Amino acid sequence: MSTPEELEVVVAELSWEADGVVAVGLAPLPDGPPLPAWTPGAHLTVRLRPGLERQYSLCGDPVDARYRIAVRHCPRGRGGSDYVHRFLRPGRRLRISAPRNHFDLLPAASYAFVAGGIGITPILPMVRRAEADGIPWTLAYVGRERATMAFVDRLTRLDAAESTTGPRAPRSTVWASGTAGRFDLTGHLDAHRREHGRARVYGCGPTSMMDALEELCAQRADLVFHGERFRAPGADTAPGRPFDVRCTRSGLDLHVDADRSLLDVLAAAGLPVAGSCREGLCGTCEVVVRAGDPDHRDHVGLGDRTAPRVMAACVSRALTPGLELEL
Amino acid sequence: MTTRTRPRRVDLARVRELVGHPDPAIEAKVLDRLDPYCELLIAHSPYCVLATVGPDGLADCSPRGDDPGFVRVLDERTLVLPDRPGNQLAQSFTNICHDPAIGMLFLVPGYAETLRVNGRAYPSDDPDLLPMLEARGRVPSLATVVEVEEAYLHCGKANLRGGLWESGRQELADLLPSGGVIAAAHIGIDGLTAAVLEDDLADDYQRNL
Repeated sequence: MSTPEELEVVVAELSWEADGVVAVGLAPLPDGPPLPAWTPGAHLTVRLRPGLERQYSLCGDPVDARYRIAVRHCPRGRGGSDYVHRFLRPGRRLRISAPRNHFDLLPAASYAFVAGGIGITPILPMVRRAEADGIPWTLAYVGRERATMAFVDRLTRLDAAESTTGPRAPRSTVWASGTAGRFDLTGHLDAHRREHGRARVYGCGPTSMMDALEELCAQRADLVFHGERFRAPGADTAPGRPFDVRCTRSGLDLHVDADRSLLDVLAAAGLPVAGSCREGLCGTCEVVVRAGDPDHRDHVGLGDRTAPRVMAACVSRALTPGLELEL
Repeated sequence: MTTRTRPRRVDLARVRELVGHPDPAIEAKVLDRLDPYCELLIAHSPYCVLATVGPDGLADCSPRGDDPGFVRVLDERTLVLPDRPGNQLAQSFTNICHDPAIGMLFLVPGYAETLRVNGRAYPSDDPDLLPMLEARGRVPSLATVVEVEEAYLHCGKANLRGGLWESGRQELADLLPSGGVIAAAHIGIDGLTAAVLEDDLADDYQRNL
């Protein structure tokens, strides 16, 4: 995290939103300035303790004075959620990044929101925004069991907001696949298209679900997919091939072995690259590419940028035998 | 070194005579499981020392370190330590396979007190366990599971007397030859010079952390 974008906040409240899900309210310091503004889809990097940083989507309302995140407890996860659940308590001060948004809600004729499990967190403020702007929306919220699905009450209240055009069908579908079976994503999206026509599809959930959603949208010209993925701990990534890196500013020539990340190699060479999530989710470690073709493996769409060309050093690799980086 | 008579040995009765007996409150502080304070301390500790017993009956201490919280608490009676790339001697694993007894001392930089945890340990390659021990993108292939039988906070006197966390103490390192020089002297093989070992160590530190 770069210093100017770092903030100190205090844990102001914890609330139990569903089985295994705690929401954390982060307030500005008592004598500090208000927290920077954010837009739906934004996330924070939270420094839980030295060596343990995690990204969390903001799930509150941008008009609130506090930030709000929600965290599902994975006791056998890599330790971030376990730390939040076991050790974060009101009064604790935390260093966080300013909000960043790689998952912007773009103008659209209609929105089809799809959330898997705790993936509801960035989607909830998006639903509020769509509702406030009067843009037609639907939401499919899929989880394993209803009791573990956070914010269902809030969504129900939002959905029941008074209509100015007479009665209408509920727009949010809460689906517990543990009892109701597999959710029909195709049927759901096609129903949205029949009723609302063109749509931007905003999805957040496990990689497998987002891959399926992306494929569905690719086959339908009137749907544009925007997704944020999270992965299971220890999930496999495709094996890497070794490649060479020339750093144009420092003049360093480096080699990245098949089993190492570019980020680790750059850091070991003493180059100033920030790293945070190491999963291609946060974009903190982006580096500018001068020559060569990166093999983009990030989940924040860095591969879609044209100028400057950038890549996520933590997960992305090279399609060409070498790359030139502006470092 | 000149030989001289071995220093006088005393028995436990004499030891007690000299050090006295502990306050009952001190004995009571030994827990039979991890409480939330122990868990908190372990979650912030980047370093612990493992003591195990070898087949030859000799005790052995081995340091372990990683990001704070690298030792994970599964429940109040179970800890798990990742195996990170080391020297492949696997002494601690060899020892616990022979005798599961294990003692652990957890340190937190800047914190005077240390945590002692004793129990019985075994190696595990359980695929349900290993992913939670991932660090720097690598999931270890092996872990040590510790079944906790005793846990207690050790007072900070040793630490304070030793000035372990005082910044001035770092100057001590300047008075020592490098690790490569010492390793070369200990190994004593022609060609394995301090410079060679220094390079090997630097490479190992870079690649295998």
